[in-house]
Amino acid sequence: MELLSSLGDGFLVALTFQNIGLALLGCLLGTIMGALPGLGPSNGVAILIPLAFTLGLDATPALILLTSVYYGAMYGGRISSILLNIPGDEPAMMTCLDGYPMARKGQAGEALALSGIASFVGAFFATWGLVFLAPQLVKVALLFGPAEYFALFVLAFATLGGISSTNQAKAAFAAALGLGLAMIGVDTQTGVPRFTFGEVHLYDGIDFLVAIVGLFALSEVFIFLEHRGTDKDSSTGPKVQIGRIIPPWSMVRSCIPTMARTSVLGFIAGVLPGAGASLGSFISYSMEKRLVDRENTFGTGDPRGVAAPETGNNAAAGGALVPMLALGVPGSGTTAVLLAVLLALNITPGPLLFTNNPDVVWGLIAALFIGNVMLLVLNIPMIGLFTRVLMVPPRILMPIVAMISFVGIYGISGSTFDLVVMILFGIGGWVLRKLDVPLVPIILGTLLGNEMEVNLRRAVTIADGDYSVLFGSPLTIGLWSIAIIGFIMPMVAGKMLKRRMQLAKKTGEDTDLVD
Amino acid sequence: MKPNMIFGRAFAAAILATTIIGGPAAAFEPEATECIAPANPGGGWDFTCRQFGKVAQDIGAIPGTMQVVNLSGGGGGVAFAEVVNKRNDSNDLVVAASTATATRLAQKAYPGNTSDQVRWLGSLGADYGVIAVAADSEVETLPELLDMIKQDPRSISIGGGSAVGGWDHLKVLIAANEAGIEDVRSVKYIAFAGGGEAITQLLAGSLQAYTGDLSEAKGFVDSGDIKVIAVLAPERLEGEFSEFPTAIEQGIDAVGANWRGFYAPGGMSDEAYEYWATTIHDVYESDQWKQVMQTNGLAPLDLSGPEFQEYVDASIARIEELSREIGLIK
Amino acid sequence: MSDRIFGGIGLVLAIFFGIQATMIEVAFMSDAVGPSVFPIIVATIMGLASIYFLVKPDPAPDWPQAGRLAEIGFAVLVLFAYAQLLPVLGFVVATMFAAGYLAWRLGSKPVEAVLVGIGTSVGIYVVFRLILGLSLARGPLGF
Repeated sequence: MELLSSLGDGFLVALTFQNIGLALLGCLLGTIMGALPGLGPSNGVAILIPLAFTLGLDATPALILLTSVYYGAMYGGRISSILLNIPGDEPAMMTCLDGYPMARKGQAGEALALSGIASFVGAFFATWGLVFLAPQLVKVALLFGPAEYFALFVLAFATLGGISSTNQAKAAFAAALGLGLAMIGVDTQTGVPRFTFGEVHLYDGIDFLVAIVGLFALSEVFIFLEHRGTDKDSSTGPKVQIGRIIPPWSMVRSCIPTMARTSVLGFIAGVLPGAGASLGSFISYSMEKRLVDRENTFGTGDPRGVAAPETGNNAAAGGALVPMLALGVPGSGTTAVLLAVLLALNITPGPLLFTNNPDVVWGLIAALFIGNVMLLVLNIPMIGLFTRVLMVPPRILMPIVAMISFVGIYGISGSTFDLVVMILFGIGGWVLRKLDVPLVPIILGTLLGNEMEVNLRRAVTIADGDYSVLFGSPLTIGLWSIAIIGFIMPMVAGKMLKRRMQLAKKTGEDTDLVD
Repeated sequence: MKPNMIFGRAFAAAILATTIIGGPAAAFEPEATECIAPANPGGGWDFTCRQFGKVAQDIGAIPGTMQVVNLSGGGGGVAFAEVVNKRNDSNDLVVAASTATATRLAQKAYPGNTSDQVRWLGSLGADYGVIAVAADSEVETLPELLDMIKQDPRSISIGGGSAVGGWDHLKVLIAANEAGIEDVRSVKYIAFAGGGEAITQLLAGSLQAYTGDLSEAKGFVDSGDIKVIAVLAPERLEGEFSEFPTAIEQGIDAVGANWRGFYAPGGMSDEAYEYWATTIHDVYESDQWKQVMQTNGLAPLDLSGPEFQEYVDASIARIEELSREIGLIK
Repeated sequence: MSDRIFGGIGLVLAIFFGIQATMIEVAFMSDAVGPSVFPIIVATIMGLASIYFLVKPDPAPDWPQAGRLAEIGFAVLVLFAYAQLLPVLGFVVATMFAAGYLAWRLGSKPVEAVLVGIGTSVGIYVVFRLILGLSLARGPLGF
């Protein structure tokens, strides 16, 4: 087959000592940057661009280095999610939900190994998807006009229910808060500043990294401060057992259907520009919860709840390369940076890339395969090392986490203002956690809010103010239907759950529900 | 290991470079050079800083390595305010800028700051604007498109990669203005996050036309997906781009160049200003920069020192006038 | 009760947000939807959710006692000071103090806290500045 021989040529390009060395370097640096809160894949890649230039690398080796960082960061984000309950980057947010409970139960090693395998599976299938489907998938991306994107984002929010809270109103509040935060800044469709109160620093909006690091990492520090020396200290203290490192086969097997489904789902989410890896991991988790969570174990350390978002976000990372390479459209922050690199290297992404620069494309794809295997091989033995983090007492670990969060934000934007906003988010995050308001919808809101609004406005503006355009194509109707089903289902299921909880409560202590 | 070897070599080269440059006979010699990129790493301004720094070091125009500092926020306004308020006397500092900077200054989008608070140093090239349609579109020329807008503004949605009032939008308005469309506000402009996204929606059929920079459109022109109906350059471009008609030759007097260049703190000494203007000019003339221009699709625009100051002043005045005319500013 | 207060604050926030949204001035030209519609929808959802908390509050969480709140308050103050002093003192010095303070308040003995402060700040400086080449704040001492 022609494709396979092209891929073979790609492997010839990628399999030089220099390129393998670069891939290894990229994987290692990427994993570390992914794991550090505040440094996500996009900043990780951006930080290493000067390195690639200083080394005087050609196009292919430079891309191999930078995409290894990209894939590495997607692997690395999960480490701090599982061990510290602090997502290393935004797509790893969903991994906190079941990964951290698993670690608390003494299954940190298993959670890390399982998520490593899930990451591998997601990235592996996505890379094959890139090989075989890139040209056809471009057509899928072209099916999505503004109205379709809006419906897709509505769908994402409709499935929010029950993600991490039994109180739907609190999830709705959190989502609205996130969307509201996303509105801050200059409105691209009219050029007027909104909710900025004349503050120049707010004109570009609030960086979601600032929000995520504040909400998750700093609020965690505050919680440790609150609990130190009290009886709750034992539950947050370092008494976690590391447990076994290789998960039992039965656990892996139970996750195989999950990984298969979420590979596809994540990949599609990645292919759509503007959705990206965060949406991939989010939709993977929420859909999988709907499908298989019959005993309500998601959120309490269900291995499938770890496998789903990790497969999803790594598949999406691969998927996001499709529109970047074939259309020159970045599907996520990271691919936007990679795109800038491509342009700087005199490579014009777009429909002709595969014919004009086959060596670059196939070398890159081969490098993705190599990097993925490398990451799996690196990650599994290193689990023992990672879990050592849990042995570090919080009084030493937490200051380090806090300071890394600060430096991650400051090093990128150079702005003291961002640090202040981050601290405010930290306080807000602490209060909201006390009140049992889920943080995930806030981040989802800040991440997707602008795209959601802008696509609504584009669609209606193009149709000259006719709102019916939002339901104007078969694809939009399909997406709206899924959204509505996804919205109603948890309401019915939620009622059943409440009844069950009330039964349970009767046997337990009497709690005053009114207060 | 291989990467280490490369590391070592680059390091050695860097040391060599610093020792060779003893001291050009300029009156001013910067101590530690610094370039502020008013955006996050990976953006256009960041690239301007990094590539300029690299070439300047390679040709020995500056001593040592130029430090690139990212200072993002407010579409460049945060960096501008920082330079004006805190770094006004620095002689070692340059800041990356482009037409977007001039546009925002003209529209008073940096609250409290004006263009005369800094000194404009020089340009490193320009990216000319294009107006394009899908390959299967019936529209063949710019006047045809503008006629359709004149007859029924609602029938044509134009997409571009900048916000409303931004440069991609203004380019269309300049053309519309020249074509005699009275109320340019009726032109339906849809803002996207980048040129690529707008082109995708052009291909998907959501839009009827695209406005952006030539470098963004290049890949899709080569593949035959879109056709350029006008380049907003004073005359036809060189090389492979020479086939595109300019707007001027179609009778519409519209020119729109997105230049890249630098400004310096307003309190910079004349010696230092001269030093930097010369450095930018030297970099522009170098073979390495010619290479960078070619890879980035940059067209020639060689202005430095007072010449560039004049150019920026004029272009800010023009954007201001246009923005006022269409009601973007009061 | 906590949820009621929270609902009240949420409602005020939603109303404030909604009012601000209607006050957005469109100076130039507007698209068919305008910059206010979506924020108003968001404010409505926020307001409805807040009313729900007012009507059906969850049981209150265990709020920490005054001493603990003061502890968190002080940490916040130290972090604010850190953010402001970072460009003045330079990264290494400022971080040393902030990390040391946090370590001390999280239960380290003074000597250990000093060591954690120095270790964290130097370690981060080496990794982020020297290896990754990020520009961290430069103080009077050059680091």
